[in-house]
Amino acid sequence: MNFYLPIAEMSANIFIFLGMGAAVGFLSGMFGVGGGFLMTPLLIFSGIPAAVAVGTEAAQIVASSVSGAIAQYRRKNVDIKMGIVLLTGGIFGSTIGVQVVKILRQIGQFELFVSLSYVTFLGAIGTLMLIESLSTMRKARGGKAVSSRRPGQHSWIHGLPFKMRFHRSKLYISAIPPLLIGAFVGFLGAIMGVGGGFVMVPAMIYLLRVPTNVVVGTSLFQIVFVTAATTIMHAKQNHTVDIVLALLLMIGGVIGAQFGAVAGEKLKGEQLRALLAALVLLVCLRIAYGLVATPSDLFSIGSVFGGGH
Amino acid sequence: MRTLMRKFSIVGGLVAMGVLGIAAVVPLMTGNAQVQPGYPPSGYQQPGYQPMQPGYAPAQQVAPPQQRVSPAPAAAPQQPPAAVDAQPTQTAAQKQSERPPESVEVDVSTRSVAVTSSFTGTEIVVFGTVEHSRQPTAEAGYYDVAIILDGTPAPLIARRKAHVAGIWINTRSVRFEDVPSYYAIASTRPVEEIADVRVLDQHRIGFDSVHMTPAADQAQMTPEERDEFRRAVIRLKQKESLYQKSDYGVGFIGRSLFRSTISLPANVPVGPLFTHTYLFKDGKLLAKHSNRVILQREGVERFLHNFAFGYPLLYGVFAVFIAVASGLLASVMFKKGSH
Repeated sequence: MNFYLPIAEMSANIFIFLGMGAAVGFLSGMFGVGGGFLMTPLLIFSGIPAAVAVGTEAAQIVASSVSGAIAQYRRKNVDIKMGIVLLTGGIFGSTIGVQVVKILRQIGQFELFVSLSYVTFLGAIGTLMLIESLSTMRKARGGKAVSSRRPGQHSWIHGLPFKMRFHRSKLYISAIPPLLIGAFVGFLGAIMGVGGGFVMVPAMIYLLRVPTNVVVGTSLFQIVFVTAATTIMHAKQNHTVDIVLALLLMIGGVIGAQFGAVAGEKLKGEQLRALLAALVLLVCLRIAYGLVATPSDLFSIGSVFGGGH
Repeated sequence: MRTLMRKFSIVGGLVAMGVLGIAAVVPLMTGNAQVQPGYPPSGYQQPGYQPMQPGYAPAQQVAPPQQRVSPAPAAAPQQPPAAVDAQPTQTAAQKQSERPPESVEVDVSTRSVAVTSSFTGTEIVVFGTVEHSRQPTAEAGYYDVAIILDGTPAPLIARRKAHVAGIWINTRSVRFEDVPSYYAIASTRPVEEIADVRVLDQHRIGFDSVHMTPAADQAQMTPEERDEFRRAVIRLKQKESLYQKSDYGVGFIGRSLFRSTISLPANVPVGPLFTHTYLFKDGKLLAKHSNRVILQREGVERFLHNFAFGYPLLYGVFAVFIAVASGLLASVMFKKGSH
C-alpha cells in the first residue's frame, strides 16, 4: 500500500517504513538507546532526502523519548536542575545546528557533512564501547569484581566559575561544562537527526561525574525538550519535517520497542553494550564506504533552496 | 499512581480519538485520484515559454491554452507531397489556394490530475486531429507530429563530485535558471528526422533542445563543461522518469486523428503542466496547439503541504504535539500490557 509523503514528495510503501520503525524500535528498546543514529541513515539509504530524514527523525525521537522520560521521572531519576542547564545549552546548540543545515543545503555539502559527522562520532563511540565492554567481559570471566564507577576525581572542570549545586546528582560544579555539553549535543542532534544520548550519557558520566542512576533519566529529559525544539525549528527554517513519515516511524517504533525491551532483559549489560558497539561500527562502516567508494554517477541534481519556492 | 494512570488514559483517549479522526478522513480524501474542474482556465500564459521566431511571436504570446496557431501562408507555403524544397509551379500554387491550410486541434484525456495521498502516478492520453488533412491513410506517414508535455521551468543546481583526499566531494556546480521540472516528448518518428536542429531548438522539441540557461555568474565556464553538466541533468532526470522520450509514441488512427499516451510518474513535481503539439510536413512546421493540464495537490496532501509551508511554526508545534501524544499513548498501552 503506497502513500504519498507530503514533504518528501514521493510515493512510499507504508509497510517499508512501518517495518523500518519496528526494526529500529526493537533495537532501541533492547539497548535502551534512541535509535536516531540508526534511523536517519536508514531513511537516507531508502531514498528520503537527507534533510527531510534529519528533520523528521527529530519528531520521531520526541515520541520515542517522551514515555521513557516520564517513566524515569516517576522513579525520581531525573535531575531537573541539571536537565534544565543541559537543555538551555542544547536549544542554543540546536538553533545554530538548524542554521548550519540550511547553509550546507544551499552550498550542496549537507550530505557530505552528515556522513562525515556520522563516521566520526559512530566510529569513536563504537570503538570505545567495544573496548570497554570486551574488557568488562574479560574481567568478569576472570572472576574479579566489576566496579562500574571510579570514585570522583578532581579535574580542571572543578576550577571553573558559576558554580551550581545539583542536589539529585550530588554535585557542586560550574554551570559552564553542562551548558557546553548541552550545546554540543544539541548542535549534533540538529545536524545528524539524533537525540544525542550516545554522546550525552558518556559525557555526563566521565566529564561531569553525574551518578549513573540519574544519567539516563536526565539525558532523556533534556533530549525530549531539545528534539522538540529542533523539530519546530526544522519545520520553520527548512520545511523538512514530514509528519506522515514521522507518524509511520513512530507507530512502527513503539511496537518494536516493546519486543526489544523484552529481548534486552535476557542479555547481560556488557553483552548488550558489545552488540550495540558492533551495530554502531557497522553503520559507521556503511556510511564510510559511501564516502570512499567511487559513486555510480559523479553528477547529482538538486533544487535551489533559499531562493523562494 | 492510580490518578496518574487515569490522567494518561484520558490523554491517550484524546490522542486515540484524534488518530481515529484522521484515519476516518484519509480514505474520503483519497478515493478519487482524478477530478475535472472547470476548464479552460482563463487568461493563462505559460511563464518562460517565449517563442524566438518573430513570425510566430505575436500569435503565440497572446495564445490562450485552447487557441490554435496556424502560421500565415507566407511563413509556411503549402507544398505538394513529393517536393521538399522545390518552388511550387504556377498550377500547383493555384491548386493549393483552393485547399485551406492544415491546422491541428488537440485535447487531453485528463485536464486535471490530483496528487492525493494515494497518488502513484498516472497516464495522460493526448489526442488530436489534423484539420483539412491531405493524408491518404493512417499509415502514409504524410505528417509528422511531436507532442511535448512539460512542467513549469524552475532553477536547478547540478553538481559534480571529485576525489578529494580519499573521499568523494561535490566540487563543481552549475546553476541552471529555467529547467523544465518535467519533460516528456512523443513523436511519430525520431525528432532528428522530423525537422532540422534549428527548428527543433526554436520550439524546444527533443532532449537536445530543452532550454537550460546557466546562471549569469557562471560565465567563466567553458562550453564543453556546460554541455557536460547539461547532459548530466538530462541523464539524471531520465533516470528519475522525469524526462521521457518516445520516438514512435504518436500514432495516427485515421487520416487525421492521432493519439499518444504519456505517463506521469509519482515523483512528478507538482505544478501546472502544458502540452505542445506540433504538426510537421517535410520539416516545415504547419501548425501548433497548446493545452494545459492542472496538476495539484488535493485533500490531505494539499492541507499538509499548505500547513507546512504556510504556517511552518504552527506545523512544527503540531508535529511535536503528535509526537508527544503518540509517545504517551505508547507508554499507557505498554503499562497496561506488562503490569
